[in-house]
Amino acid sequence: MNADELDAVYTALCRAMTAVGEARAPLLLARFALLAIVEIADADRLQQLIAAAAQDLTDPTAGSGS
Amino acid sequence: MPYPFVPERFPAVLPPLGDGVDRVRHRVAIVGAGPVGYCVAIGLAVQGISSVLIEADDSVCAGSRAICISRRSLEILDRLGALPGFLSIGLPWTGGRSFYRDREVLRFTMPNDANQRLPPMLNLAQYHIEQILLERVRELADRIDLRWRTRLTALESQADGVRARLTTPLGDYTLEADWLVAADGGRSAVRESLGLALAGTSYEGRYVIVDIAMPSDRPTERLAFFDPPCNPGSTVLVHKQPQDVWRIDYQLRPDEDAEAAVQPANVLPRVESLLAMLGETADWAPIWISLYRANALTLDRYRHGRVLFAGDAAHLVPIFGVRGANSGIDDADNLAWKLAAVLQGLASERLLDTYSEERVAAARENLSYGTKSTEFMAPPSFAFEWMRTAVLGLAVRHEAVRSLINPRQTSPIAYADSSLSRVVASAPDFRAGPAPGHVLAEAPLQSIDASARAPVRHDGYLTQRLGSHFTLLHFAPDGTLPADLGGLDAEMRGLGIRWRTVVIGAGMDDATGRLWALYDAARGASYLVRPDGHVLARWRQCHANDVRLAVARVLDRVGERKGGA
Repeated sequence: MNADELDAVYTALCRAMTAVGEARAPLLLARFALLAIVEIADADRLQQLIAAAAQDLTDPTAGSGS
Repeated sequence: MPYPFVPERFPAVLPPLGDGVDRVRHRVAIVGAGPVGYCVAIGLAVQGISSVLIEADDSVCAGSRAICISRRSLEILDRLGALPGFLSIGLPWTGGRSFYRDREVLRFTMPNDANQRLPPMLNLAQYHIEQILLERVRELADRIDLRWRTRLTALESQADGVRARLTTPLGDYTLEADWLVAADGGRSAVRESLGLALAGTSYEGRYVIVDIAMPSDRPTERLAFFDPPCNPGSTVLVHKQPQDVWRIDYQLRPDEDAEAAVQPANVLPRVESLLAMLGETADWAPIWISLYRANALTLDRYRHGRVLFAGDAAHLVPIFGVRGANSGIDDADNLAWKLAAVLQGLASERLLDTYSEERVAAARENLSYGTKSTEFMAPPSFAFEWMRTAVLGLAVRHEAVRSLINPRQTSPIAYADSSLSRVVASAPDFRAGPAPGHVLAEAPLQSIDASARAPVRHDGYLTQRLGSHFTLLHFAPDGTLPADLGGLDAEMRGLGIRWRTVVIGAGMDDATGRLWALYDAARGASYLVRPDGHVLARWRQCHANDVRLAVARVLDRVGERKGGA
């Protein structure tokens, strides 16, 4: 996947989230994560990715963006 | 504090009138003496076409507008004879850095290598841009009739021209012209008078744009701060301009009142805290404060009968990615040679439909990149906001996501799908080099001046061999043209076509040896280049008849009649 393709997928996800609305966007992300999990299908790699996603988020204000 | 620039003021002038009508019927009237209007007028003048240029104001622009001129624009300005002024004032730069809170998350560079003659980007204020172009217009005063304080109030479009109603402090009059170029900006009076409207997306996110005077040795680069300690929750951009002027843009929170936000009492503390974070300690003063909201809008067509739209009158591109003035200069460059060819009787007016075709496609590409940049810089929904926060937070440790932060600065547009890029069957056997529709790749050249008593070597670059003419770039190691191609120069000029053949080989070649590989060229290869620097066709082995046919199709294809029409 090149930078333009990454960009396009990123934007598609943003638009899908916008379309379902803020209240249901976390569910959309959860479903997307689940589909990505079964697609990646590498348990060790997935454990690392979950840890990487959680990293730095223990501070409750981290990543709030506002 | 004022800008370090005092514009000269110009009076209105009335032309000789008969019954309230300009006694001269003009070939081309250009509305709007901004960067785009100037470039159209200069481009036409260089092609030998006179025009009248109408400007509502009495001087070059004031205030904070375009400040970044791309390498592609500089190549165009070089062909217009205006490059030295830009290089003497502008600040060249090659990249920038982005920060999330207090961590650097991206360091980007724009395409740049040892083959380049011009910087990827040059910063200077729009009043500088306009002043340099105005000086070039004055050199061409016999072909450009510039009329200040003259405002278009109504426009009547006819089959063979236009009638424009103009108002000046000295009185009103009507001006007739065969063609009218609307380069009168985002609030185009021409567009309004024809009842046309831009379509697309307007964004809610608002930025305060501040220019300040501040001495600093900080280098010229693009700095972006997301959620910085000095201004939590906001996004801040910093650009350097010549003469100790700095551009600072920062995003407003959705709940901030627009009117209050531009009051100095609210702006100055934010700038002060940014400068403190940057470690700047010199005295500074605000020069300009305004509010910006991104638009991504265009007309569907840029040719409406005898009226041609260019620049902001045709399209509004978000500031992020610096595609506004640069795309307008590209419009002017595409338009000038085509309009000149039509006026000189070399091509039918359908060549101007390809102006619309090519530049509408370019605008859509610019809008698509500009939209991406805007969605990152001013997230249009909670989703873009969340995802941006995710990208910025992960970018510290995960390089793979950093490209999403890249500001996607303007880059040359290729007219790959243009009908002009298909006049010659493509040559799929080229493994490198610019395909039809693309601009030339730069490379150093050394030439030997045969007219001097002793041969003199001149260092130069390939794009300097281009001009406002068609260029046949022929590769021959011994530096001589085959007899078949040798007569083309005289033949084309005899037809009134501005033409130049450039032979790459002995006598003029790339001392570094990179050029031949860059163009995948072997003996006999040829590239035919349009007057705007885009490749029209290329051949492994080129014959004069191929070239004749390509030129005839570009100028005449236009003459191809669909059956029964």
